[in-house]
Amino acid sequence: MKVKVDGALCTGHGRCYSLAPEVFDVDDEGYSEPRDTMIDVPEEHEEATRHGARACPEGAISVVES
Amino acid sequence: MTETPARPTTGRDMHTDFDIEDVSLAENFEEVLDDLVARCPVAHSTVGKGYYVVNKHADVRRVGQDWRTFSSADGWLLNPPEVTIPILPEDLDPPYHDTWRRVLNPFFAPGNVSKVEDLARTYARQLLDGFADKGECEFVADFASQLPGLILFNSIVPIPDEDLPQLFNDIDTYSFGPLDDRIPAFGRVYEYLNDFLKARAEQEPKGDVIDVINAGVDKDGEPSPWEDKVHTLLDVIFGGLATTTHAMAGAIYHLATHPEIRRDLAAHPELVPNAVEETARLYPPVVAPARTVKADVEIAGVQLKAGDRLALNYAAASRDPDACANPGEFDIRRTDVVQSAFGVGVHRCLGAHLARLELRVTIEEFLARIPEFELEPGTTPSYESAQLRTMKNLHLRWTPSA
Ligand code: HEM
Ligand code: SF4
Repeated sequence: MKVKVDGALCTGHGRCYSLAPEVFDVDDEGYSEPRDTMIDVPEEHEEATRHGARACPEGAISVVES
Repeated sequence: MTETPARPTTGRDMHTDFDIEDVSLAENFEEVLDDLVARCPVAHSTVGKGYYVVNKHADVRRVGQDWRTFSSADGWLLNPPEVTIPILPEDLDPPYHDTWRRVLNPFFAPGNVSKVEDLARTYARQLLDGFADKGECEFVADFASQLPGLILFNSIVPIPDEDLPQLFNDIDTYSFGPLDDRIPAFGRVYEYLNDFLKARAEQEPKGDVIDVINAGVDKDGEPSPWEDKVHTLLDVIFGGLATTTHAMAGAIYHLATHPEIRRDLAAHPELVPNAVEETARLYPPVVAPARTVKADVEIAGVQLKAGDRLALNYAAASRDPDACANPGEFDIRRTDVVQSAFGVGVHRCLGAHLARLELRVTIEEFLARIPEFELEPGTTPSYESAQLRTMKNLHLRWTPSA
């Protein structure tokens, strides 16, 4: 599974990095990091990642299931 | 919007004759919101100059994210008085909006906010000390109206100790006092903040958010005018007080009336962050801020024209079953929660991370000190409700531990 944060949509609500801190990081302003980059999701964090993606108020996170 | 809803308490048809200040909305908040979400994606109001209200989650998200079509430059109030003082960056559009956010964000980002946790706990415990042994409290006055200011002014927005009593008093009068006293109280707060900023500008920099506000940002190649700095400080302060007060009161009200959730949280403290999200979703202090339509546009089949005013009903969107299953239920185990309580788009609440921390600390510390409590029998909270919503009082009682 891969996941990507759309940098144009992320406004830093922080739902993703709160719910899946192993996958999403936070920058100094509160935005998700990295943005606009495919992130490989380790199997054990897939559920948390889906949860974080669903919770994003901006709909900024796309999940590519493999 | 062709159906005529049966409104139990008012003659007003909230679909075609909406009024955000109507008492039936204040008193039947959830019912009216649910009805709008279910049957009226875009309501219309004839109040004042008239406005639309966007209620569905997907439409609220679209409007919130499209600042070019839906501008904040005319202010967040639907029907502002003749003379209004703007709050920044709320009442700005990009690029000037974003330039301010870029310098303010670091102070309110999770890393900086986490440094406030110990202080927040200390103040929460102090306030609890004031009433835990009495077996009763009025939670809004005794706790929720005080904690947000105690935390904010002793951390991210530092105000000198000696100025705090007067400032607290004036902010309290402005936010919760008799209507006639509010504008003069606001005037005093404004004057204080203006003088405070000016005094700080003459002192050595301390590296805090006040320095950053005083430094200002670039506005079309020019430095920000002085009043923009004062209006930014106003937003950073007023944005974070009564809002957080209401959410704190909402959380504790919900726990007072739902012993099973209270006990669940006591047994599973790791679920407190979920309770915070559910609190923001179901007890939203920011109901529906305004925008101005800049170009003709259709929303959910309703044609809007350039110049029309609309409100983004964040409170309704958070209760939209298309975004959140069983939206009326306060479910601390849900994994599908998408709420819009902190806004959507560029105006995403600057203080969201701080507010979440304050709410988490409130729930944790209250439950640790007073595990079992209930509403004072015969009382129900009353609300002041329009584009913002505040619980005015919350009487609780419990058996003090020996
Ligand atoms: C539970 C507590 C809070 C809630 C529910 C809340 C909600 C919101 C919402 C919905 C907006 C967006 C308004 C819009 O779209 O026009 C907003 C903006 C804002 N909030 Fe909060 N807020 C809370 C606490 C705070 C705190 C603690 C602070 C600061 C200390 C704060 C400062 C601000 C500021 C400065 C803005 C304007 C941001 C901008 O325009 O870019 N808020 N808030
Ligand atoms: S939840 Fe969405 S908006 Fe918030 S930080 Fe993550 S990607 Fe950005």
